Amino acid sequence: MISNTLDSRALGFGDCYGQRFMKPGTYRYDVVSAGGGSLVTEHPYTIEVAEAKGEATMKQHDVMLTTKERRFVADTEVLTINEGDLVLWACADPNAHAFEVSGDQAFFGNAALTNECGYSHAFGTPGRHHWVDALGGPAEGVVSVKEVRCSTPAELASWRKRLSRGTLVMINDGKVEPAEINVVVGQRVFFAVVSTEPMTITDSNLVGACRGD
Amino acid sequence: MDITAAIDEPAADDLLDTAIGLVTIPPATGSGALGPFVASYNASGALSPGDVDLIAPATIRIDDFRLDWNLSFSFGIDLSTFLPDFCLPRVCVNIPCVGRVCTPRVCVDWPTVSVPVSFSDFVEVTADFGISITESGGVWKVEAVVQGVPNLQFGATTAALLAAISLAVTPILLAIPFAGPFLAVAVNAILVAIGIAGITGFLGPILSPFVSGLRIPIYEQAKNFEAIPAAGATDPAVFVTIDDVRAEITSTDEDELVLAIDIS
Repeated sequence: MISNTLDSRALGFGDCYGQRFMKPGTYRYDVVSAGGGSLVTEHPYTIEVAEAKGEATMKQHDVMLTTKERRFVADTEVLTINEGDLVLWACADPNAHAFEVSGDQAFFGNAALTNECGYSHAFGTPGRHHWVDALGGPAEGVVSVKEVRCSTPAELASWRKRLSRGTLVMINDGKVEPAEINVVVGQRVFFAVVSTEPMTITDSNLVGACRGD
Repeated sequence: MDITAAIDEPAADDLLDTAIGLVTIPPATGSGALGPFVASYNASGALSPGDVDLIAPATIRIDDFRLDWNLSFSFGIDLSTFLPDFCLPRVCVNIPCVGRVCTPRVCVDWPTVSVPVSFSDFVEVTADFGISITESGGVWKVEAVVQGVPNLQFGATTAALLAAISLAVTPILLAIPFAGPFLAVAVNAILVAIGIAGITGFLGPILSPFVSGLRIPIYEQAKNFEAIPAAGATDPAVFVTIDDVRAEITSTDEDELVLAIDIS
C-alpha cells in the first residue's frame, strides 16, 4: 500500500528530504526504516564536501533510493559535492516502507530538521492537514487539500498541469510562512527549514498532545 | 390392509407451507467468477411458502415460493488494470537566498485491493416437484423433490448488487493516496467489467443449489411401529408394519394428493 503520512520523520512515497552541506568535510549516513536512526552504528554512504572555489551557486544532487531484501540502497555510495550544495533523497520504490536518512552528525538526518534542510510531501488525500512540530516547538501550519475529479481528458490534463506547480513553505526560527496553504490532491509542498531548533513536520493526529486541536 | 389418505389443494398448501418452513438450507462457501474477478463467498438461504398446485398424475407445482438469501463475498481488484499510469511530476521551487530545488519524478504502483460486500435479497421461484417414496433404515419417507434446476430470475437484484459493489469500492479507493481523482472513472470501469452478466453468472451457481436439490418432507414413518400400547399382561402392544407406500395426484372433481399405505 502507498504510504502517504505527513511526517518528516518517516519519509514515504513522493517524499523527499534535502540537506545543504555548508562546511567542507566527510559526512556519513545510512538509510533505515523510519524511527531506527538512533540505533544506526554503521554509515555505509558518504558525502564528501569539497571547499567551494569562488562564489559558486548551489547545485542540487539527487540520491535515489531503492529497496533490496527489505533494506534501503542508495544509488551512490560516495557522493562528492561542493560546500553549500544540496543533496536530496527520495525513494523510487512505491511499495517501500517509511524510511529515515540518518547521518553521523546532529544536523544531518530527517528525524529532526535543523539548518538548511527541507522536506517535501505530496498530499495524496483531500482534507485539512494540520501539522505540528512533534518535538514540541512552536511551528505549525495547515495544508488544505482540495479534492479533484478527473472524468474527462481535459480535467486530467488540467490536474496534471496543476501538479507540476510546487508550493513553498519557509520555516525560520519556528516561524512558518505561509502558515496556511491550499493545494489540490497530488500536489507537492516543499517545507524549507532555514534555521531552527530541531523540529519535525508531523500530522497533528500523530502527535499525542497537539496544540489547539 | 390398505389405508388411504387424501388431501385437497388447500390442505396440501397448508401441509407444504409448514414443511417448507421447516426445511433447513445448509450454508454454502466457495469461490466463483464475478465478471473478470474471482470472489470468495459465504451464502445462506431460507425458504418461505408459495401456492401449491396439484397436477395429476405426480406433479406438485409450487408457485412463487421465496428464497431469502444472504451473501457475503470479497474479491480482489488489481487497480493498475483500472487506473491510468500516474506519476508525480518533477516539481521545482525557488527558495529565497538558496536557489532552485527540484523534486524527482516518481510513479505510483497502484495496489491490489480486496473489496468485501454483504448483500441480502430474495428471489421468487416457481418449481415443479415430483413425489419421492423411499424406505431406508426402517423408515418410510414421502418427499416432494424439485425437478430439474429452476431458473432463478434476479431482475432488479443485479442492479442493486452492482450498486452495493459500487458503495463498497468507493471508500476503499478514496483511502488510496492519489486515486481520488480517478474515483468515478475507476468505479464505473469496475462495474462495467462485472456487468449484469457477471452478477447473474456469479449468483446463479451460488443460489441455484439452494433450490435445485430441494426436498420437502411430506410424510415420514417408521416401517414398524407400535400402534396400540400394551394394556396389561394379557393385552400386549399391537405393532404395525408398513409394507408399501404409494402416492399420486388424482384429478376428479378436485385435485388431491393421495397417499395409499399397505400395512400388516
